[in-house]
Amino acid sequence: MMANKLTALAGTAVLALALAACGGGDEGGGEGGDGKTLNVLIAANTQYPDEFAAWQKDISTKFKAQTGAEVKFETFASANDELTKIQTSVVSGSGPDVYAVGTTFTPTAYSTGAFVKLGDEEWKKVGGKEKFTPATLGISGPDEQNQVGIPWVSRPFVMAYNTEMLQAAGIDKPATTWDELAQQAKQMTKGDQYGLAIAYKDNFDPWKFVWGMSVQAGNPLVDGKTARLQDPTVQKAYDTYFGWLTRDKVVDPAAVGWTNPQAVAAFAKGKTGYFMLTTPTAINSLEQGAVKGKWKFAVLPTVPPGATSRPTNGVEAASILSGDNLLIADYSKNKDLAFEYVKLVTDQDTQLDYYKKFGNLPANAAALQTLASDQQLAPVTEAAKKSVATPFTGAWGDIQLALTNVAVQSLPDLGKGSISTQQIDARIADAQKSAQTALDRAK
Amino acid sequence: MTTLVRPPETAAPKEPRRRGVTERQRPLWLLTPGGLLLVLIVLIPLAVALWISLIDLDQYSLRRWVEAPFIGLDNFVESFSSGLLNSIWISVSFAVLSTIATVPIGIAAALVTQNKYKGRALVRAVFLIPYVLPSFVVATVWRTMLQPDGVVNAWLSRVGIEGGLWLTGPRSYWALILVEIWAAWPFIYLMALAALQSVDNEVHEASAVDGAPWWPKLRRVILPYLRGPVLLACLLATLNHINNFTLPFVLFGAPAPEDVNVMPMLVYVTSFQSLRFGLSAAMAVLSLVLIAIPLFVYLRAVRLDVHDEGGRR
Repeated sequence: MMANKLTALAGTAVLALALAACGGGDEGGGEGGDGKTLNVLIAANTQYPDEFAAWQKDISTKFKAQTGAEVKFETFASANDELTKIQTSVVSGSGPDVYAVGTTFTPTAYSTGAFVKLGDEEWKKVGGKEKFTPATLGISGPDEQNQVGIPWVSRPFVMAYNTEMLQAAGIDKPATTWDELAQQAKQMTKGDQYGLAIAYKDNFDPWKFVWGMSVQAGNPLVDGKTARLQDPTVQKAYDTYFGWLTRDKVVDPAAVGWTNPQAVAAFAKGKTGYFMLTTPTAINSLEQGAVKGKWKFAVLPTVPPGATSRPTNGVEAASILSGDNLLIADYSKNKDLAFEYVKLVTDQDTQLDYYKKFGNLPANAAALQTLASDQQLAPVTEAAKKSVATPFTGAWGDIQLALTNVAVQSLPDLGKGSISTQQIDARIADAQKSAQTALDRAK
Repeated sequence: MTTLVRPPETAAPKEPRRRGVTERQRPLWLLTPGGLLLVLIVLIPLAVALWISLIDLDQYSLRRWVEAPFIGLDNFVESFSSGLLNSIWISVSFAVLSTIATVPIGIAAALVTQNKYKGRALVRAVFLIPYVLPSFVVATVWRTMLQPDGVVNAWLSRVGIEGGLWLTGPRSYWALILVEIWAAWPFIYLMALAALQSVDNEVHEASAVDGAPWWPKLRRVILPYLRGPVLLACLLATLNHINNFTLPFVLFGAPAPEDVNVMPMLVYVTSFQSLRFGLSAAMAVLSLVLIAIPLFVYLRAVRLDVHDEGGRR
């Protein structure tokens, strides 16, 4: 009897919960312009929190003036937070209307099928496809007909170099090939000075190097449903990347423990020739260091290691296509408002304002053009145009993880100062296996 | 009709039932709120986890998760080839070693703060600092200190020891244990201190009258009082160590070095980086079962009952 009662109670509770879950979440419901609220999920900006709050307020005011509706910003601290939010929203069918999603994460978001696909009409609502820098559209979807991501900002990767150190070593211009880079780094390494600052322990940097060098050598890593990690180009990439520390000895041995911000800090001290893999968001940190006024950006080398020119099938990939896309949730009841919002934040003025505040380059072509005259920024805008999208597959997250894992598991060997080809090969074989498994599952 | 004429017979068995009234008619319904919460917070999620472990739920099927294909035990089979056993081994050994190391420290600390002296309150407060600091803060500070060019290596080199890498490779395992010990010993200390306070004054007096020296007194008189609470503390601490996710995640990041790929990290990466929710649920369920078996045996063996132990005179 008691058991029956308890079961009944539990059942009622579950039903009540389920109903509550189904009914919740639609703050903006109802018809008409005023009184609606558009929910936007966006990354928290820990570097400039006050400016970010001010920007949100400013956008809210403009949006209200244009549409009569409110914008409510919700922030996430990390990509994982965002992913969790997307998961719960996808499952429950309610949550933010607009998501700002990192470019390399866009394929994963796309694979959930929870975002609005953009046809001609949708593109028109945000001001037309042509208003964006063509390269930024490279990771909006698997093909022209299936795009979900609207480019918002771009953060192409470049390298920074210490002008005084290069000059002192008799180097007149920054390297354009990876071999040249290693050569210059050797020239600058002496005493407590090092040629390169590399964040070996970073959870994202390693795969970007390996991907870049491989693509330049003609291997896109993913060929349809086949992973091509077990390939001489990939092996050469890891060998070069690790070799800077173990063979060329042009990197501070402490770099084995560095994440990207630590590498920035090391370069900012003014004792390192090059800081590989950075974006304009690092400008402030660099200007506050000893290197102030003595550094410049340069496009990363685009000729693969071991070569003096790119092979015919090699791609001039200066950077991964990096930045944020805006995605509109399929379940949103405020899609028109969402498009209005996207149009607002991708317009020229808003984009330039955002760049000035936060150092993220505009995805808006006209806005980017106005920055062309900025000498400091010239290499960055060039990198933006020469950015190449990483493979558009839901498996990319796993492939990226597998590539990084090769570096993570190699760190103890790097710490000891040497790593053998066999060790690298064995780890690449593991990576190939998990990449292929992920691709096999991809739909 | 007949019942009306036989009242004495029905009254007769009332006598023995009277004792039983309190037992049988205990107001069990008062447990309903607790029971409901248990169902909502523990049983339903557990059932959902079990269900997810049997379906092929990933980023592609997430949106229509109700329709995700049922694949039976495939996820469980795949768990074993995905390094789960290795992770369980790392987790369990790390947890047991951490517990073994924290027990003497905790008990010693409790003994040190048992007798009254000037500044005891301050010492007790200081002892609690590692325990009240959030795991995230502890891990961040230690991560900074354990850098290749961090303070730990700087100190070690001063006494002529080559520090090396603490956050990658085989040493990361010991780094994890070290930080866990640093953060977790106050729990044993608190439990031991509570047990020490339950030792009656007469016991101390009797030992004094018998002229027992401090060591035999500690070993034969005081420590038996600590047995129950400290065993319970060991159990809880070990489970806490096994479940600790924040510490390895913040110390080493994801993907973690193989030597510290503890269970929570593996489940996390499978779930939230590879987006294999079905597989990770299977891993979680398997780990739960694998840990529950020895735990059950252990609980039966030690028959933990703090009240009995504390109440024994």
